[in-house]
Amino acid sequence: MNDSPIRLPRRHVLIGSVAAMAGVGLATWIRPALAQAKPLPAYAAWKTEPTLIVHTPNTIETRRNAFGTSVVTPTDRLYVRNNLSPPDAAIVANPNAWEVEIAGVKNPRKLSVRELKTMGIETVAMVLQCSGNGRGFFPSKPSGTPWTVGAAGCVVWSGVPLREVAQALGGVADGMAYITGTGGEKLPDGVDPKSVVVERSVPIKALPDALLAWELNGAPVPLAHGGPLRLVLPGYSGINNVKYVKRVAFAAAESDAKIMSHGYRVTPPGSQAEPSQPSVLEMSVKSWINAPSGDGDALVAGPVQIHGVAFGGTHAVQRVEVSTDGGKTWRDARLVGPDLGRYAWRQFAFTTRLSAGAHTLVSRATDAAGNVQPEARVENAGGYNNASWLDHAVKVSVA
Amino acid sequence: MTLRWRCALIAALSAPALAADDAQLAQGKQLFGSATPACALCHTLGDASAAGSVGPSLDELKPDAARVATALRNGVGSMPSYKATLSDAQIAALARYVARASGGEK
Repeated sequence: MNDSPIRLPRRHVLIGSVAAMAGVGLATWIRPALAQAKPLPAYAAWKTEPTLIVHTPNTIETRRNAFGTSVVTPTDRLYVRNNLSPPDAAIVANPNAWEVEIAGVKNPRKLSVRELKTMGIETVAMVLQCSGNGRGFFPSKPSGTPWTVGAAGCVVWSGVPLREVAQALGGVADGMAYITGTGGEKLPDGVDPKSVVVERSVPIKALPDALLAWELNGAPVPLAHGGPLRLVLPGYSGINNVKYVKRVAFAAAESDAKIMSHGYRVTPPGSQAEPSQPSVLEMSVKSWINAPSGDGDALVAGPVQIHGVAFGGTHAVQRVEVSTDGGKTWRDARLVGPDLGRYAWRQFAFTTRLSAGAHTLVSRATDAAGNVQPEARVENAGGYNNASWLDHAVKVSVA
Repeated sequence: MTLRWRCALIAALSAPALAADDAQLAQGKQLFGSATPACALCHTLGDASAAGSVGPSLDELKPDAARVATALRNGVGSMPSYKATLSDAQIAALARYVARASGGEK
């Protein structure tokens, strides 16, 4: 989106000087804010800029007030986190031609997307969330993008179940305990590929719901989100959902790529990452309020709908509570809108009245297994897995 | 002490400090191209004539020295840790250099 009057269709400009002047005035008013913002990178230039925070060309966050209440996050507002720069856009020009190698099955082989489309189809709605979402709330300021709430979205993927692909190739070979996905990014010459390749392993228990997806929110997966083909693992944090997937291997052991062995580990503060530490895999129960967003909304005393999102990682959400006094007292919120399954998030809403003054609004979710969203984050060197309800509090000032 | 003497004394004391500073920056610049894997393979940094596009452009990111040092020690995302291959002094030199060259120095 661009607010410059230069891009208005000609007929609008010709309507009259009043409209033209209004256009100029609006542009002048909005410009200063936009001028400071970093531009969207070319591969994501189609996204709706005012709804996003561009941290770097490979880290783009959805604004807290841009999630809406329609459950599914529109693709043009969805966050982007690429560990490596995306491959050339030519790979999405003909998605059907993309090939993925399937290994660790009885009859390993390469399959094109065209062939995958003949093997099965399934659709899943799920929360896609960067492992570092909420890192910006860590007082220790860990390395990496200081995301607050917007490195997440609820999206719909379509593709072929990985289990059906494995079955068609003779079944998973004996003794395999992991699914390893390898990204198709171009790696720099002169570097040990294992030191930079995006290659992640998840336990084979993720197989029943894993997809090789070619469609996102009803359209071919864009390059920015891993098209032509992405390994989709519902309930697992973003990094495990490997983009531009070029190889899927059933394996006896985890990948020894650096990003698996040492990257994305829950490392105690002040320690070095090691393969013995827990890997960032399944997401846990979490919620946050999106409105009021605390991003400068003008609030007047009186009735208000406090709304937000809640999810349980691999479990459905059972309950969401809201507090308007920073967590001292809690009341049940309503779950609103369609339930798109246990991997999707639920919208919640809470009707109340806010008096003039300062308020701290928080939400707390409970999943179907009885896990309650914790008050405190688990401190770790990488700033991963922040589900603290206190960190996600919204502070508002009511006039 | 006359003003002239005072100036001479300050110059005499700070010259070695400045030389050490330059040496550290030069060492950092050299490491930018020679660490394994070399920073320049993945990152863009105009001062080092580096145009890598795998990781973020340091000219755009403008990290301060503390941020670079933490990234070198712990790794970030797909960037590996250099803790095992670079000494503390080398990490400090590289961090100083990247902060200075990118304009991120505080």
